Amino acid sequence: MSLASTASAKAEPPMLARLFARQEVALLVCLILVLAFFSVTVENFFSVRNLTNVLGQASLPLIAGIGCAIVFISGEVDISIGSLLATIALPLIIVMNDTNSLLLGVGVALLFGLIIGVVNGYLTAYAGINSLIVTLGTMFIMRGGVYLYTGQRAIPDDASLDSFIALSDGRLFNIIPYSAVIAIVLLVAFGYMMQHRPFGRQIYAVGGNQEVARLAGYDVRPVKFICFIISALLATVAGIILAARVGSAQHTAGLNFEFQVVAATVLGGVSLAGGIGSLTGMALGVLILQFLSNGLRGLGLPTEWQLVITGMIIIAAVAFDEAKRRRAIGG
Amino acid sequence: MSELTHASARGRSIGGQLLGGGQLVLGVILAALCIAISIAAPQFYSEANIIAILRQCSLVLIVASGMTMLIITAEVDLSVGASLAFVGCIGMAVLNSTHSLALGMLAALAFSGGVGLFNGLVVTRLRVNSLIATIGTMMMLQGGVYLFTREAVQNHNQLASFTDLGAGYVGAVPVPVILAALIFVVAYVTLRFTTLGRYLYAVGANEKAVRLSGLRSERLKLFAFVVTGLCVGIAGMILSSLMNAGQPTAGRGFELTVIAAVILGGTSLLGGRGSLFGTLLGVLVLKVIDNGIIILGWNQDLQMVVPGIVIILATYLDIIRNKANVR
Amino acid sequence: MSVDFLHHGKGAAIDTNVPALEMRGIGKRFPGVVALDNVDLTLEPGKIHALMGENGAGKSTLIKIMAGVYGKDAGTIRMRGGEVDIKSPRDSLKQGIKVVFQEIALISEFTVAENIFLEGYPTGRAGSIDWKKIRAESAALFNRIGFNVDPAARTGSLPVSQQQMVEIARALAHEARVVVMDEPTSSLTPNEVSLLFAVIRRLAALGIAVVYVSHKLDEVFEIADTVTVLRDGRHISTKPIGEHTNDTLIQDMIGRRIENLFPRQRGAAGTKVALSVEKLSTAKKLHEVSFEARAGEVLGFFGLMGAGRTELAKAIVGYDPITSGTITVDGSRLAPHDTRTGVKLGIGLLTEDRKSEGLMGELPVYQNASLASLGTFARLGFVDKAKEHKAVQDYVDRFRIKTPSLFQQIKNLSGGNQQKVLISRWLMRGLKVIVVDEPTRGIDVGAKSEIFALIDRLAGEGLAVVMMTSEMPELLGLADRIAVMCEGRLTAIMSRDEATQEKILNAAIG
Repeated sequence: MSLASTASAKAEPPMLARLFARQEVALLVCLILVLAFFSVTVENFFSVRNLTNVLGQASLPLIAGIGCAIVFISGEVDISIGSLLATIALPLIIVMNDTNSLLLGVGVALLFGLIIGVVNGYLTAYAGINSLIVTLGTMFIMRGGVYLYTGQRAIPDDASLDSFIALSDGRLFNIIPYSAVIAIVLLVAFGYMMQHRPFGRQIYAVGGNQEVARLAGYDVRPVKFICFIISALLATVAGIILAARVGSAQHTAGLNFEFQVVAATVLGGVSLAGGIGSLTGMALGVLILQFLSNGLRGLGLPTEWQLVITGMIIIAAVAFDEAKRRRAIGG
Repeated sequence: MSELTHASARGRSIGGQLLGGGQLVLGVILAALCIAISIAAPQFYSEANIIAILRQCSLVLIVASGMTMLIITAEVDLSVGASLAFVGCIGMAVLNSTHSLALGMLAALAFSGGVGLFNGLVVTRLRVNSLIATIGTMMMLQGGVYLFTREAVQNHNQLASFTDLGAGYVGAVPVPVILAALIFVVAYVTLRFTTLGRYLYAVGANEKAVRLSGLRSERLKLFAFVVTGLCVGIAGMILSSLMNAGQPTAGRGFELTVIAAVILGGTSLLGGRGSLFGTLLGVLVLKVIDNGIIILGWNQDLQMVVPGIVIILATYLDIIRNKANVR
Repeated sequence: MSVDFLHHGKGAAIDTNVPALEMRGIGKRFPGVVALDNVDLTLEPGKIHALMGENGAGKSTLIKIMAGVYGKDAGTIRMRGGEVDIKSPRDSLKQGIKVVFQEIALISEFTVAENIFLEGYPTGRAGSIDWKKIRAESAALFNRIGFNVDPAARTGSLPVSQQQMVEIARALAHEARVVVMDEPTSSLTPNEVSLLFAVIRRLAALGIAVVYVSHKLDEVFEIADTVTVLRDGRHISTKPIGEHTNDTLIQDMIGRRIENLFPRQRGAAGTKVALSVEKLSTAKKLHEVSFEARAGEVLGFFGLMGAGRTELAKAIVGYDPITSGTITVDGSRLAPHDTRTGVKLGIGLLTEDRKSEGLMGELPVYQNASLASLGTFARLGFVDKAKEHKAVQDYVDRFRIKTPSLFQQIKNLSGGNQQKVLISRWLMRGLKVIVVDEPTRGIDVGAKSEIFALIDRLAGEGLAVVMMTSEMPELLGLADRIAVMCEGRLTAIMSRDEATQEKILNAAIG
């Protein structure tokens, strides 16, 4: 084993981390630049209160972004998450109003999320329908379903459970919003799964080259199936927090949320082509966009400018990435 | 030579497609829907109702004509809904200040064509995946329209010709339906009978081969993006005429309806496969369902649910049919 | 896990008296085709067994059945004396069968080490992947096969030869008893080929049964112990290599004697310069390449893998950008440097990568054929279909393209017929210079000679043919003059008469 040990000493340690180091470092530098710029130009931007507030706001796209990134890495897309946010709020609020139990409400909401994930995953992985079409379809169905149930009105949270409200404004040690804590815990857990569990690596393999994964003895279908379930469950968690924030279930909840999440994920270097990117990158993408929009608001720009600028950043980021990739291949 | 039998049997030639399985199934579905609805609600076949259906089809069909070309080249445009709203506002604003339908139309087409050009350049020059690129454009347009106007741009011009654009008739046929028919026919002829149409299919089927054959594949894609944009311009003006205002909130989800209709019509997101005739059937199926929901007195919110089910089901049927053909 | 096998097991666990794998009466049918009919194959441990046959003979179907990619319709598979059921790649791997396909099956974004353990990650505490063990074992495996690859390298950044070694290491990591190499040398340099052969012999010495699938006779004679030949899905012969000669092997493969693969019909080349390339350089590869090609001649370009043939082909037709130099086609300069101008001037490329750069697989034969010349069938932008179909039909008849109809999707045609359609695409356009890049890649022996005859005919009709090839017989059989490339430079140009294999190879090595 002597030769082996010399070889392993030569090899640099964490495998994928090494690969994507540069991408994530670049994103981190961007984030720091954004923070530095607004710290100078916007009063109170660099305060604990503001930073943790933004972190709280970022928690929704962070949580849903984990699922979105995992589905992307597996080589598929899920654009149903925005509608899912609105959908699962219904059983959540209704059950809580009936039973006064957060646990039951959350349980039923997760069950709904699970069912939707199963449907998306089954239709994509087992029935073989293009995932863009499947999730486009379920997006319509869910949004329409919410309209059908609620009409134009919101269903308020009458139970007003303390534990539920704490999800929106509670803070750990009075500093970090609980929603951000949940986001960070989920991020670490799924980050670990993606890098250090065989299943996580299988997702990368399946997305990186489906045929190769099949020849390596993987059954591609359950891997993709589970990715959609993960995505739906995480969107459910985000939806629960959103419902706590707005204090009701309403048909407009999460409108266009899927596009925000997709944008941040892509900005974070997770490729639509599959097999490329990391959750760290996605998280940095989310944070950059959130701090940017918070800072722009601080500068007094109308909120709509944030949409415009976000749109431009996404195009620019992907274009830049593509140019870099082509140069790498060319050189 | 058994060319003819083969052509109608399965070949994915454009001619073959017309008779091919996909359209047939869709046609049967459409017929079944019409029969079912008319049994439940005989007023379905009234002249007024049929005209109403056609009028509702027209907006979607206009944009879907461009979108079919675009998806055949293996690209997609998600910004059409946001562009539709923006273009209506701009067109209305120009109409109000110039009192000229021509100038208003021109402004609308210039803007929407410009959006198409922008999308096309980002996709072909910067090589950004069109799904992502047009999500970006969509966000920019959604934000931009509110920066342009916070509320609906009301119709202050009262031009009869503008009102006719949405609400007028030629004989018994509404103007939007005529416009849609014209655009459809032009697009159909282009795709089926011209070299340009053939090149669009070719680009979608294999872009590199097209480039090696001395054709400018990027221009072809650019063309499809711009055409889609121009179609949005026309649809946007019709919509603002119908609503008698430019609404910044209009067109929400419109892009999805259009894409749903195109895919339902058998056009493949992978490019190189599809037909406008299928798109027409797709639009009709979606709108007949919408209409059925209304005249049967069902909850109108079903109008969102049903297309979702239909699009998944249709794609699934297509997969099953392809499998049956291979095995 | 596999460390025991590697370091102590050696071949001891393998009983050399029992066949490693026995396939009996294997049958497989696809719609309309019998791919395999009653085929037998017996593999002995520690022996190298060549599997030969033309494309379409059933080799790849047979190894795909071994790999579990296809299920068999008839027959039995026995391993180490017992019957086994292989329904999926997973089953195949479990039985210790490892197929190294021509298209390397590695995840290019992963490191070498991770790819080696893709089929089963060693896990440590609480089911976490043990990366340390993975790296250490990878290094040990490379040591064992006598080939060094950095386990931490990104797989996609490695040359094909090293990726093959990763695949072989992977086979060892999972204790494969049967290793199938599918056309492993098709993109290797001679040097790499001899390294690969050394590794294959090592595998055999470990007691592994090796299946070596190849077209190339010389390689088979060099490495194989036994040869099985398939033809048209049937088993033709299984003999020790010593009982074969070149002729008997070819005869088994194609069922008839082919005296000369390249019957030259055309007359002497003309003197008119059709293509002139001066000091052509590209950013990536080419450095000041200059040459001329004359009407009516075949100018053959030889070079080893990575010499820059494909790059040159793509640059001179205007497809890939150049940094300096001029290209003149029939007296006019190719400027601006794009394919549009190129095709206008009359230069076109028959690509080496048919699937991704040539075919429009979903579209019918006639549309594939007329792509470059559609403008000539158009009036005011409308396609005259009758005229178009007639012109395509003409080529289908002349080139004896086997297709059920003009409306058949081209993806359903055989490689040889696809190639003929793509040649028609250019002839319908009317060219002065045609650049053909590896014109017979993926085409079986029978169809090869037809493609050669076509190329011969093109030159006979006055085209300048620039042919890029890595196959020496092809080069010597077809070319009037031979140009040799090495690392992006032109190192020699000689006439066919003065060319010898040694001269060419020397120039190719540089």
